[in-house]
Amino acid sequence: MKYNSFGYLIGEGFRSVAKQKKMTSASIIIMCATMFIFGAFYLIGENVNFIMGQVESQQGMRVILSDDTTDDEITSLKTKISQIDGVNQVTFYSKEDNLASIKEQLSEYLEILDTYDEDNPFPDAYFVTLTDLNLNDSVQEQILKLDGVEEIVASDDTISSLSSVAHGIQMGTLGLLIILIIISVFIISYTIKLTVYARRKEISIMKYVGATNGFIRGPFIVEGIIIGVISAVITLGIIGLAYNSVINMMLSSVVIQRINITLYSFSDIFARLLIVYVLLGIGIGITGSIISMRKYLKV
Amino acid sequence: MIEFRNVSKSYTTGQEAVHNASFNIEKGEFAFLVGSSGSGKSTLIKLILKEEEPTSGNIIINGKDITFLKPSRIPYLRRSMGIVFQDFRLLPDKTVYDNVAFAMHVVRATPKHIRRQVPMVLAQVGLGDKAKVYPNELSGGEQQRVALARAIVNNPSMLIADEPTGNLDPNTAWDIMGILNDINLRGTTVVVATHAKEIVDQMKKRVIRIDKGNIVRDEKGGYDSEV
Repeated sequence: MKYNSFGYLIGEGFRSVAKQKKMTSASIIIMCATMFIFGAFYLIGENVNFIMGQVESQQGMRVILSDDTTDDEITSLKTKISQIDGVNQVTFYSKEDNLASIKEQLSEYLEILDTYDEDNPFPDAYFVTLTDLNLNDSVQEQILKLDGVEEIVASDDTISSLSSVAHGIQMGTLGLLIILIIISVFIISYTIKLTVYARRKEISIMKYVGATNGFIRGPFIVEGIIIGVISAVITLGIIGLAYNSVINMMLSSVVIQRINITLYSFSDIFARLLIVYVLLGIGIGITGSIISMRKYLKV
Repeated sequence: MIEFRNVSKSYTTGQEAVHNASFNIEKGEFAFLVGSSGSGKSTLIKLILKEEEPTSGNIIINGKDITFLKPSRIPYLRRSMGIVFQDFRLLPDKTVYDNVAFAMHVVRATPKHIRRQVPMVLAQVGLGDKAKVYPNELSGGEQQRVALARAIVNNPSMLIADEPTGNLDPNTAWDIMGILNDINLRGTTVVVATHAKEIVDQMKKRVIRIDKGNIVRDEKGGYDSEV
């Protein structure tokens, strides 16, 4: 007699979605709105992280070496710095490199630097970039302890303000996500409650002929999942179009081109957003339907 | 098969609906449960269906003490009993066939088994020609037959009927009782709660009478004690 009635449950779920057209579309619209707002913040957050990554790889510190360090010491310093936790790349700039780059910047006033070739005042230096801007302080501390390091020149303020902005956006997205999830669960459970109410007679008969709670819940969970997935797909389409036009506008703007960073294109982020949305839709659907069923399962 | 041992039931309002009830209905028996409204009859039925919990005492069904049955096991208990109500409780948007098949879907019967079983029970209750009709096109007696078909389609070992003829005229009531008797003759234990004095008097079955929560009589015979 045991029979997997999966097909029956799914059929019943679709039947009820089709029956409650008005309420279903209302909850799909509201779910889409909440998912859209969440998606916008999610995309902003992802891009900020992406920009942060780019900035992190550009941001770094100049480690100025003492004039009396020998070539051997300079090479061994490179290995030591590379081994510090949080260090991404270590690039060497010799006295000559530094002079050359200054010459380039001052190309119109080269006479100032006339005597510099014989007696170069610039130091040897390493340019160190970080894997994580939060490790900035500890990396600096460890480098300063090494022999042959005279000082570190870094723009600490930029680094710390960037990481606090990124942190703020992450927290904001998380908080918003929680609020939106609660709202969506409430809305979807209300919709399903209407179906449950319309079918309360059927449910009580099911109880009398020996249906398990799991079996009774099945179609309503399917209904919740259908609403969630439909909303996810619709929102994904809308947000994709909106995102692409915004991104194109931003990328063609002068500011973005000047500071030399790139942003995600929608296709880069599509798969991640799809997974997030579908999981969100299914999760909200299941939770909403379980909440709306509780009362009616006690017979 | 259905055994009550000193069962009492008080509601939270403080009213005692059943007081110290003890009886034992054997396998294959046919028993009437009689008493006026408010006598505790409905509470007895609800206790058998595990819709209500007894305040004290034990209820043993099919040799198993169900007094402390876990809620998750209740569906399996109910699969051993068919249930019929005064108000039929059919699904108006399903045909006669689907109303009966529904009870089999719910216990996860295979489609093949459903197709074999449903026409058989419809024929047994005399509704072989009404399979594709909706409940609102049927008379009260026919609707109750659908409910009977639904109750026995999963081959329960007992059938519980709560005022099955309460909404029916006397002739139709006799038809329904006839079907209940048939079902009993095929080996199913049948318990019928009823007001229908005439029927009880003529059928000469076991009668359990409850009055103000007490079982005042339990013997074969008619509706009233002096028959």
